[in-house]
Amino acid sequence: MSTALATGAIERSDRGFGYLMAAPGLLALFLVILFPIFFTVYTSAFDYTLILPTHDVFVGVDHYARAFDNAEFGQSLWVTLWFVAAVVILEFLVGFTVALMLNSVERGKNVYYLILLFPLLMNPVVVGLIWRMFLHPVLGIVNYLLSLLGIPGVNWLGDPQNAFWTLVLVDIWHQVSFMVVLLLAGLSALPREPYEAARMEGASTIQTFLHVTLPLMRPVIMVTLLIRLIFAVRTYDLIYIMTRGGPGQATDLVSYFIYRQAFVGLNIGQAAALSILLLLIVLALTAYLYRYMRSLA
Amino acid sequence: MNKLLMLGSAIALTAGSAHAETINILMESVPDTRFVQVVLPEFTEQTGIEVELEVVNYAEMHTKLVPQLVAPSGSYDAIVVDFYWVGEFTKAGWLQPLDERIEQDGFDTSVYFDSLMNLVGKVDGVTYMLPFYNYAMGLTYRKDLIDDPKEQAAFKEKYGIDLRVPQTWDEYMKQVEFFTRDTDGNGQVDFYGVVNQGLRPDPIAMEWSNYLYANGGQYYEEGTWQPTLDTPEAVAALEAYKTNLSHYGPPGAASFGFDEAFNVAAQGKAFSYITYNMFRTAYDDPEQSAVVGKVEIAPVPSGGLNGAWGWAIPNSSPNPDAAWTFLKWIESPEIAKKRALLGGSPTRSDVFDDPELAAKYPYYPALRNLLDTARNFPVFTYTPQFVEVLGRELSLAVTGEKSSEEALEAANAEFAELLEKDGKL
Repeated sequence: MSTALATGAIERSDRGFGYLMAAPGLLALFLVILFPIFFTVYTSAFDYTLILPTHDVFVGVDHYARAFDNAEFGQSLWVTLWFVAAVVILEFLVGFTVALMLNSVERGKNVYYLILLFPLLMNPVVVGLIWRMFLHPVLGIVNYLLSLLGIPGVNWLGDPQNAFWTLVLVDIWHQVSFMVVLLLAGLSALPREPYEAARMEGASTIQTFLHVTLPLMRPVIMVTLLIRLIFAVRTYDLIYIMTRGGPGQATDLVSYFIYRQAFVGLNIGQAAALSILLLLIVLALTAYLYRYMRSLA
Repeated sequence: MNKLLMLGSAIALTAGSAHAETINILMESVPDTRFVQVVLPEFTEQTGIEVELEVVNYAEMHTKLVPQLVAPSGSYDAIVVDFYWVGEFTKAGWLQPLDERIEQDGFDTSVYFDSLMNLVGKVDGVTYMLPFYNYAMGLTYRKDLIDDPKEQAAFKEKYGIDLRVPQTWDEYMKQVEFFTRDTDGNGQVDFYGVVNQGLRPDPIAMEWSNYLYANGGQYYEEGTWQPTLDTPEAVAALEAYKTNLSHYGPPGAASFGFDEAFNVAAQGKAFSYITYNMFRTAYDDPEQSAVVGKVEIAPVPSGGLNGAWGWAIPNSSPNPDAAWTFLKWIESPEIAKKRALLGGSPTRSDVFDDPELAAKYPYYPALRNLLDTARNFPVFTYTPQFVEVLGRELSLAVTGEKSSEEALEAANAEFAELLEKDGKL
């Protein structure tokens, strides 16, 4: 009995010491993440502009109401939805295929890794600039190579539809290896026994894939998709460098829209409200996807 | 031990303050900045002040500047201000008035052209900036094609008028149509009458302003600030722009910034390009251009868009005195002349009147003409936002997603809103 009491006291002091050790980290987390969020919510209720950066004029939910009225904001959300869906789904399909192929490679895996990872390591601004040069319809190398094959030059960034899909393709080039790396890590950690059992039962490759690989990979796939989705919503550099949201509004993603509200329109209060709305949308999407994937298990 | 530490740090501090002064300036990556970079070493030799230039693409400048101007102490000692930020920067109180310094040092500002002092010099009678360079827009065209007798004969036959430097907009449009052709006989047009810069928001808005003025339109009524973008003249201007961009221009022009468009013209693939006058020098640079000596600049019929940059000292400047020393020096007559000799775009009468410069650059009279006929874009507190709105609507019209009337009405309405917000309307 006395030993139980003694261990309880030791546990409590241990825990107290543990909190003390974690305090600096928690404080940093609070300052860097929570405080800016609180400040953003606070500022979104005021008329705070860069011309008059004070919290003097309280406007309540006016900024939020205006956001709902703003057709441009709605349009940018719609474009973002399409872009995120296209990018996440396509990168997942391509990434998973590559990961499956790489999984069965015996030698030279590191060489493949290196080649695949190169684009991902590049700064998105650099990626945007070099592709903009390559895709110049008159002077760029891509159309030149196409002309050698007898294919007429494509208007990559000057046509609204083309511009959208060109951006999707450049983003895939840039970021598909992110999917490859995560999915490959998941695949290589899978247990061998279910595969042996499946082979003994005479299952075909497709059946093995559908009934063994996929279910076992579910947690990894879920995390990969979620992470990619959250980052895709934040796509900004590529838009800024390659199309500035045009032609028309074909590539006007929501991050770029909010940035313009803040730094061109100088309306920080409005931009804060839009950011909070975006945060809520992404949180809702994340929660929904998480529950959906859990329900499949 | 502690005493040693304190002594050591005291020595380090005093040693640190004996280090050379450095001033930081944010500038745009354009030819005139390069000319400044060329003359900088002289300044450091004369005054001992190091100058660090941060050179970026135009689109990033406003974003980089604003946080540094809002902060109590920013990272830039001197800045360059684009004319359409002037309203915003002065309303927000970000720039230091320079009148006292000018008087104290006897700096002569009368050499600057009035139109430029009004654009990037004085605001409401107070001098905030010194004009740096002007980029009034003009029509660059292939002089060798206009002078070619074969072309002249064919043009006269087709249209019944002479082929010459276009004096009217109608003439220009005919020339654009005439010169769009398939030169290598493969069935595809590969030489274009015009190249446009249709990228949102700045290139398309600036370029289209020329079309607006040429078609008799204007942005607002003088005096009342009533927006006038929903007029038939403006619609005609937008229709002309759409025609040029889609029928007589290269594919992809809807997303060309001025670099891409300039390169198409400089590689000899376009007859004309309405652009900033500082590109005139670049056409004669063999490293950038394949048409050296073949391009000339003329005013856009009915007057092109005026534009300029000015030097300024922000209130958040860490070292305003050193910044002023630099400004005085870089805009002194000798250095201004040196920059102009390198190819810099002139802003002052002493540069235009200099015989050496006039001999080197025979197109100076043409540039002076441009400055005299150039017209201003509406400048008020929310001009950057207006440029963004205008750029968006123009781009939507160009891609056919909105009719010209709809696009201009929307731009007009938002223009009115912004003017009301600024108290002008």
